[in-house]
Amino acid sequence: MKSLRQPTLETLGLGTVLEIFKRGQMPATAGDLVDQIFGESGNRGAMVISGANGIVGAGKTMQLGSRLLPYGVTIIGLDFPGASDGIGDQYQGLRASFGQEKADKIMANVIRMNYDGRQLPSELKGFRPCFLLEAIPEILDIKKAHYGIFRETFPAVEIRSVTSGFPSSELGVGIAHPAFPHQINKMWEIVEPSPSPATQLFWALGMVPTPVSDHWSFVLDVLFCGLTLAGLRYHRASNMPFWKIDKFVRKLIGPNPFRAHDAIGAKGANFLTWSCLHDLSEKYGALFTPTPELDERKESGQNWYPLNHFRPLVDWSLDDDDDADFQSWILGPVIQMTSLMLREKRSHLSHINAIGELCAQFRQGILAYIRGLGADSAIKKVESYHTLHPDAAGCGWYPDVFSQIEGQEWQQLYVNAEHDGNVGVITIGRESYNSDVDAEVNRAIDWLLSDGIDRVIVTGDFHLASQMVGADTSEFFPALSEAEKGLQISRTWSRTARRFESEFKVSVGFINGKRCLGGFLELFMHCHYLVATEGCALGMPEVTLPVVPGMEGCHWPFRKARSEDWPKLLNLLLTGKPVNAGDAVGWLVDFAGSMEDSLQTTWKIAAEGDRGPIQRRKVTEETLSGIPTEVSLPDANNPAIDAARKAIMDCIRESCNSSLAEALDVQARHTAGFMSSRLCQKGVIGAACAKIMDV
Amino acid sequence: MIEVAPMFARARIPYGTWGSSFFPAWQTTALAEVNIGQFAGEAMNRIMGIRKIPTSVLDYLIIGSTVPWHWKFWTAPLVASCLGRRIPGYHMELACATGLQTIISAAAEVQTGANDVVGVLTFDRTSDSPVGVFPERRSYERTVALSDVWDNFGFDPATGRAMLACAGLAARKHKTDRREVDEVAFYRYEQYFRAKDSGILDRVLVPLDLLNIQGRHLGRIDSDAGIRQLTLDGLRAMPELDTCVTAGTQTHASDGMATLLVTNQEKARELSPRPEIDIQLVAKAEVRTLPSLMPEAPALAVQKLLSRTGLTMHDMVVVKNHNPFAVNDVIFAKLLEYDWKKMNTTGCPLVWGHPQGPTLTRVTIEALEEAVSLGGGYVLIFGCAAGDIGIAAIFKVNDGGNQR
Repeated sequence: MKSLRQPTLETLGLGTVLEIFKRGQMPATAGDLVDQIFGESGNRGAMVISGANGIVGAGKTMQLGSRLLPYGVTIIGLDFPGASDGIGDQYQGLRASFGQEKADKIMANVIRMNYDGRQLPSELKGFRPCFLLEAIPEILDIKKAHYGIFRETFPAVEIRSVTSGFPSSELGVGIAHPAFPHQINKMWEIVEPSPSPATQLFWALGMVPTPVSDHWSFVLDVLFCGLTLAGLRYHRASNMPFWKIDKFVRKLIGPNPFRAHDAIGAKGANFLTWSCLHDLSEKYGALFTPTPELDERKESGQNWYPLNHFRPLVDWSLDDDDDADFQSWILGPVIQMTSLMLREKRSHLSHINAIGELCAQFRQGILAYIRGLGADSAIKKVESYHTLHPDAAGCGWYPDVFSQIEGQEWQQLYVNAEHDGNVGVITIGRESYNSDVDAEVNRAIDWLLSDGIDRVIVTGDFHLASQMVGADTSEFFPALSEAEKGLQISRTWSRTARRFESEFKVSVGFINGKRCLGGFLELFMHCHYLVATEGCALGMPEVTLPVVPGMEGCHWPFRKARSEDWPKLLNLLLTGKPVNAGDAVGWLVDFAGSMEDSLQTTWKIAAEGDRGPIQRRKVTEETLSGIPTEVSLPDANNPAIDAARKAIMDCIRESCNSSLAEALDVQARHTAGFMSSRLCQKGVIGAACAKIMDV
Repeated sequence: MIEVAPMFARARIPYGTWGSSFFPAWQTTALAEVNIGQFAGEAMNRIMGIRKIPTSVLDYLIIGSTVPWHWKFWTAPLVASCLGRRIPGYHMELACATGLQTIISAAAEVQTGANDVVGVLTFDRTSDSPVGVFPERRSYERTVALSDVWDNFGFDPATGRAMLACAGLAARKHKTDRREVDEVAFYRYEQYFRAKDSGILDRVLVPLDLLNIQGRHLGRIDSDAGIRQLTLDGLRAMPELDTCVTAGTQTHASDGMATLLVTNQEKARELSPRPEIDIQLVAKAEVRTLPSLMPEAPALAVQKLLSRTGLTMHDMVVVKNHNPFAVNDVIFAKLLEYDWKKMNTTGCPLVWGHPQGPTLTRVTIEALEEAVSLGGGYVLIFGCAAGDIGIAAIFKVNDGGNQR
């Protein structure tokens, strides 16, 4: 079996994506892993979360509590008697997510216990703790003493620390470092010698463990704290207030680090950032030395943003020279820190890339960003930074790592391909579609074709992307003011999608996870066959943004559906309401079933094509006649949606009324034209663009 | 240049590290809507950023303002927080002489070694000035409500007279000629517009963009809004409000801020974009003349200052004053036997208004900038305040080899 680069799933000890399809089942199940870790049903041990009332502890008590409830694993929330009720504070959010009944059940399964830090409560034994998730303050000696107490009482207990900075070698336990917001963020940085059942359980429970190496602060905190430090250094150089630095940083790469500190809780977050940078500076030098502003706020816990009654009055702008300096101050250190992480091989490149995106609001993963800059330009940014901050030049700078940028590990950060010589699989590890994904999908297709593979399954990667939410709408920002940009995006992405139809003998789109929407659904529907797991929501929410679907969603599914099913497609496109995959069989998908049935069906189709269990729905190349002109829809009570419906309907009519050869351009024109309209500019995407880009 | 030992030998004003907002006339711009203390702090931070001065160099902040502002109790430390630095400092106030007195005080801080880099930040918002309610049990009214700015202009509690009456009284004492007063006013406007066209003010005045509570654009303060282009005939036709005082020969209320740094020589060289330029405060003088003769007080202060230093008006390369009334300049010219056309060549408060606290700071900055453009020399700054106060100071600008 060959793969374009190492599948990230392998880093969890779970094999490859191709093997999942070949076997027709998932590589591990939560039930088996719960049995393995907590004991079999009827004799289950408990999970203890210490520091359970803190921000991390309470969030993870909810996240793990809700996921482990079906398996009967009791959660013990352990904390000091005087700790504020962090767990109780979670209840309203829990109720909003799950409804009162389930929220009550989740809370009922959380047993709260107090302890004095020296001796564990005697009642704990009765619950037979099998797993300790330690979320106590970032003080090394206290953490070690805590593990000692547990091991003394429960020698077999599996321990993981949520530490954001201390290496496993310092702590003497494995690490499961979660990302904010802790109730909902599914990412965990994992440090352990080899993939453990606990890590695989996290994966089987729908979370995203990402193995990282045992270095100070791992990946996320180097990126996040490093970016904060970059902002602090720029502040010292320019006087620009933190709130404004945030706006420019957000425009440049996505995160707003100072707001994030305030949102997390400045008192704790300032300390953690300081602690992370302090430790890194001890190890690596001046590149990471905290500034006096951070020293002060570590002590004071003061917010970075002004209080409400002192909302900023005087605005700041950057001229071209200022902007060049700003970019050097911000990008320079972040690129340099990335070079250090690459040098130390801190993680799979796709993990390093994804961690910034999924945990620190990077619009593009840091490696994708650097790849876009190109090695020379990235190195120049760092060198320019060194002219501004010479102390950083002497430590932790490894420009040579960027010489690998043309290699497959760098080139396929989001998309991988594997094949067994007969069937290939293209796996997508990003939940929203953007130009990076598009380029990588094309390279993956080229690679398979060059290896003579003409049967392909297109799927998520079963790891970093657990759903497919559609196009990354930040890609559309330039198209709001320039129709040509919209035209280019729509044409390019549509051509990519058509390759699945035209360049493979058999292509099967496989959709699992919670949902597949918009651009991703359009991409997948170009495959000859579409298989989805039951319960997966499929939708075209473009009308609500509003935009006109740009990857042929306005004619392609009509060409594959029977005319009596066209009203269902119109409903899908014009209301934006998703449909359950099970209800879309025959007109949108070709098969929907359980995970195992879907995997097995997909493999059979890929291997056997039309000889397999499902007949291919042909794509009508001629013009379609009889598309309904009047559609009965619930009143939107929203003029923008009414106008968007009309625009989408116009696009459906004209693109369906064209031949397949012409329709791509027709659709692209409609999409681009609408995107540069006032309606779109005033809509969700326009508002997001204004918020992020109009600084 | 005659050498005079400076009163604060250690203190320096680093060239090019200063700046002032424009002074829009009251109620004309977004400045009328802001907490002026917060604005001043943020504006100083912005100006220092534009001047490439990290505010982390500041040790101390002296603020000067005269119109009460919300949360003024918290004084300089609060304003320092608004500029992004938690440094100590204090507030000082001497009516319309505040802007010069703060500079002198900052120089004293450096001279004594108490602090090395002292920020001077003066500001006032005359627009929507607060109304104070003062319980006065011994007055027949029992409680007195004062609209700060207008009652201060209109009533000197020591004499019961308005400032406008002071101008009239001084004009009568010095037998000023209405025609000359009008000519002075007209000339001052011409000077201002010439300076504006020349670009010298661009090195002093910094346009500032203001945000509303939602963080959206509220307004851009990029002009001394409210200045009219006057004609001599128009001035002459204006009715007198008191002797030789018309609407055209007196200043107007405005809003604004101005800032500069005072530090030691070593630090000044480090901070200034032109380290060869050396600026020192040479001497200062204050007088209090007879009640309500405010317009003559600055001339008396200058006489005292010259007498103490041994310098003469001929030694001055730049002469600039705070002149709320054109009468001030006529009296000064008469008492000092000085050609009023040689003064205020880049504009003056008679034209660009009177925000009180920062007025003499802007006067000083403009004068120092002008002196540098002339190759250095002595700079005379003076002004009046509070009914009968005159203040004057001499600065020495040495441009490091190109001096007159």
